[in-house]
Amino acid sequence: MVENRPFLTFLTHAVLIIGVLFLCFPVWMALVASTHGPEALSSSPIPLWFGDRAWENYSQLLVGGLPEAGGVPIGSMMFNSLIMALVITFGKIAISIISAYAIVYFQFPFRMGFFWMIFITLMLPVEVRILPTFDVVVKMGMLNTYAGLTVPLIASATATFLFRQFFLTIPDELVEAARIDRAGPLRFFWDILLPLSRTNIAALFIILFIYGWNQYLWPLLITTDESLYTVVMGIQRMVNSGESLPVWHYIMGTAVLAMIPPVIVVVAMQKLFVKGLVESEK
Amino acid sequence: MATLSINSLGKVYPGGVTAVSDVNVDIADGEFIVLVGPSGCGKSTILRMIAGLEGITSGDLQIDDRRVNDLEPGERDIAMVFQNYALYPHMSVRGNMEYGLKNEGLPKAQIAERIAEAARTLRLEEFLDRKPANLSGGQRQRVAMGRAIVRDPKVFLFDEPLSNLDAKLRTQLRAELKALHKRLGATFVYVTHDQVEAMSLADRIIIMSNGKVEQIGTPMDLYLRPASRFVADFIGSPSMNVLDGTVSSDRRSLQLNGSHQIDFGAELPAAAGNQIAIGIRPEHLHQNTAGETRIELSVGFIEQLGADTVVHGTLAGSQSPLAVRLNGVQARDSGDSIALSCGRDQIHLFDGTTGQRLNWDNQ
Repeated sequence: MVENRPFLTFLTHAVLIIGVLFLCFPVWMALVASTHGPEALSSSPIPLWFGDRAWENYSQLLVGGLPEAGGVPIGSMMFNSLIMALVITFGKIAISIISAYAIVYFQFPFRMGFFWMIFITLMLPVEVRILPTFDVVVKMGMLNTYAGLTVPLIASATATFLFRQFFLTIPDELVEAARIDRAGPLRFFWDILLPLSRTNIAALFIILFIYGWNQYLWPLLITTDESLYTVVMGIQRMVNSGESLPVWHYIMGTAVLAMIPPVIVVVAMQKLFVKGLVESEK
Repeated sequence: MATLSINSLGKVYPGGVTAVSDVNVDIADGEFIVLVGPSGCGKSTILRMIAGLEGITSGDLQIDDRRVNDLEPGERDIAMVFQNYALYPHMSVRGNMEYGLKNEGLPKAQIAERIAEAARTLRLEEFLDRKPANLSGGQRQRVAMGRAIVRDPKVFLFDEPLSNLDAKLRTQLRAELKALHKRLGATFVYVTHDQVEAMSLADRIIIMSNGKVEQIGTPMDLYLRPASRFVADFIGSPSMNVLDGTVSSDRRSLQLNGSHQIDFGAELPAAAGNQIAIGIRPEHLHQNTAGETRIELSVGFIEQLGADTVVHGTLAGSQSPLAVRLNGVQARDSGDSIALSCGRDQIHLFDGTTGQRLNWDNQ
């Protein structure tokens, strides 16, 4: 919009600034709270500026281990979360790009049938199929393993669908040119399809990483061994630590730490992410 | 460089639509063949069958006496240039050109040599490291040709390669293509819907309609002796005037729809009372009464082209459209009438029902 009206400019900026403050305030509170002792947060008024216990709190969290969270250091929970998020992300992208490739570029019996079967699973949220999936995982002996944490979450109808839609926009002539250039199916996939999907992969990477990182219900069901706890579970356990008072300074510190990896991923890949969402490079 | 032989080639799509039926042609080594016809006539299907991108339902396809029906496109030793270029958008110009050669497993030195030569030929040297997105349409099409040239194939296939370019660039690239063909001496098969492109490029033209071959011949064959009314209409601009009429009882004259009667002074190759059509090219009608055959044109509108003037109108006293190409700048008002004549040897006759050419002793 190229209108030049001072009042409107003021209004739009005011709305934006209020929105930003509104969004940032909880994050700010978490950051501030994590630098105080336990008493400061249980009394009123709660502090709005940093306290003096930042170093103590964070070192205790990262390496010391808390009795409230099962005595496991947050560092190892973060590591578990990272493994889980990365395996889910790479697994989902790999599986869905391959299945979309099969569905778009190969003729085989019941091709559309398979596509619809994948598509229909989109309608079932994780919670609906969680009991049967749990049953399968138990029978395969995958409780309390990284495999149990990640494998059942890898199948992804959404990503398959997105890749399929993207592949359909690639002109047929490109495929034909590649056939004439003696590129077999694997070579075409590797040399042409994959580089062209670069921005789509980046966009999905961000979305799926955050999805994997934020998983709560599934790890809660599948792990009883404390060494496999993820950071999101850790936060939850600290909040429900029985009869003692919640340790808000530690909880907030953990929340701040848990925010860091997704932020890094978004910041590092945002250029590609935006490109992947808007661009049609043809 | 190779010969290409097509024997009773046919294509039926699943679902029963016949795209091409019974095409027979032998293409000589180094020949420039143009497939031309209106859209949907099956010309591209033939090209894609030669390339191996489309399965062959019936018939045989041989390149250099080797049956290639069941070979993959990459194994047929052909190269193809597409209408929308089909360049790999993420690769540089060099990457596009060397991709096929790399897949073939050619040594690096040889690849570099071939690319350098093709780039020189097509004046692409300074663009080798650019991406296709940063090239103009004409440059992209040259890259697509370069990708074909470096492969040094037996047969070059072109699928309407100039259709996406503007008129001026098209003329320029047409000349470049012709020169390229001369220098390479390779076999070219070229598909277009533009009869001017076909006439100016081809050694021989295959003209098609509705999946069937109408005529195969040199451009001048098609122009001077069109095998059917369809060919007569398709080749030449403005198209040939075709007028329907009835053969008179003495078979020496034709009663046109309207008041005109044309005397031929010789026996027509059709029975009395039959419907036939006569064809006269607009450029063969003259503004005098020297020719044996005379007709009158009622002016509708005129197109001033500078070098000549095309007058469109109708045959006087009827609704049949008629056009004439007159030399130089000519002014005419709508409704004027012009007396025209043409030599008897420039009249084509076509059967009224089948549209096939009727040969007669008119020379």
